[in-house]
Amino acid sequence: MCPASRYTDLESGRISLGCNFACIHCQNWEISQQFAEGTVCGEREIAALIDEARRRGCRNQNWVGGDPIPHIPFWLKVLLWETENTPVFFNTNGFYSTEASSLLRGVVDIYKIDFKYGSDICAEKISGVSGYWKVITRNLKAAKKQGELLIRVLVLPRHLECCLIPIVSFISRELGPETRVNLMDQYSPHWRAAELPELKKRLDPDEWEKAVKIALEAGLRNVIT
Amino acid sequence: MWRLWRPDAVRALEDPKVVSSMPRYIGILKGKLLPKFVISRQVQVEWGSDSSEDELWDIHDASLRKMEKLMRDLDSGRIHPDELGDPPKKSLLHLKARIGESIMRSCRLCERRCGADRLKGELGFCRVGREFRVHSCFDHLGEEPEVVPSFTVYGSRVRPN
Ligand code: SF4
Ligand code: SF4
Repeated sequence: MCPASRYTDLESGRISLGCNFACIHCQNWEISQQFAEGTVCGEREIAALIDEARRRGCRNQNWVGGDPIPHIPFWLKVLLWETENTPVFFNTNGFYSTEASSLLRGVVDIYKIDFKYGSDICAEKISGVSGYWKVITRNLKAAKKQGELLIRVLVLPRHLECCLIPIVSFISRELGPETRVNLMDQYSPHWRAAELPELKKRLDPDEWEKAVKIALEAGLRNVIT
Repeated sequence: MWRLWRPDAVRALEDPKVVSSMPRYIGILKGKLLPKFVISRQVQVEWGSDSSEDELWDIHDASLRKMEKLMRDLDSGRIHPDELGDPPKKSLLHLKARIGESIMRSCRLCERRCGADRLKGELGFCRVGREFRVHSCFDHLGEEPEVVPSFTVYGSRVRPN
């Protein structure tokens, strides 16, 4: 789960690692250091919990981590045991391989992808990944073809020009202005965020106003703010 | 209870902006359509125990096309779910699970492509090993209105030393 999940985080602090990214502002790192590594669970057991959740009115099964990408093989086995019709919500940073994408096709109903950076330099600096843009844009396009798409964009302070502008223009141009985008102002400096001067503080209200304007000017018509 | 906390979530499934971006999801919630994995579980697939990963992928891709055809037929009402019958012993979903396991021998699920042999106990960058470790799960109310309540499962990893 990403900082993006701080949407209205009713359950903050109940998070662990297991991620292919290493975001400097990850709210999970600081918390996860104190936690145990989790319990080894049987696939059948989890399937039963999901069936029960669906029966009491949960709308979907939300696969999270860290990131759910490394857990895909386990999830495929969980699904073999499920008996209810529970849609699959894949809650990811989007940095998965083409092999993973093929496995997800015909399985995932909703791709919820965090679109974090508009430049490889920022992705490298903040999340420690290389070649971000090529992978994320490829996967976003494929996700739109093979399922339904919800994009989260956490606005980072001082990353409007380098990140937000390329992100929203890509969405509008390549995925369509009707794409559903959750634009989020909840950035807060967790973990080692203070190491980067611009990430020390929360977003200021002027910047947020500007961010919303940028998204609308790019033509996006289905923005949650 | 969640209806009190998130009245916006109650209305969300009628919101035109939600309806236009996830019609299939809403169809599933209303009981009219099937989740994709359920359809994949209906597609019968055969493979040999000695098939290579490449061969498995070929079978996978061909079966996926069948699955997508079946989905179109189901979604458009040409086939009724009652006509599907019991799921086969070996399905496309089983094949996916089989390939997923085989990828863990030289992990390339994400674009870090560490190549860790997770089945042998090696750990890649993410430190997710061969077993499904779960940190917690609960009914999440803090996501987008159309998503909640959402049964959220937090996968975990092996703790660093
Ligand atoms: S993608 Fe980044 S913010 Fe999200 S869990 Fe992984 S390290 Fe943390
Ligand atoms: S980081 Fe994890 S998921 Fe990604 S390739 Fe390495 S072991 Fe696999």
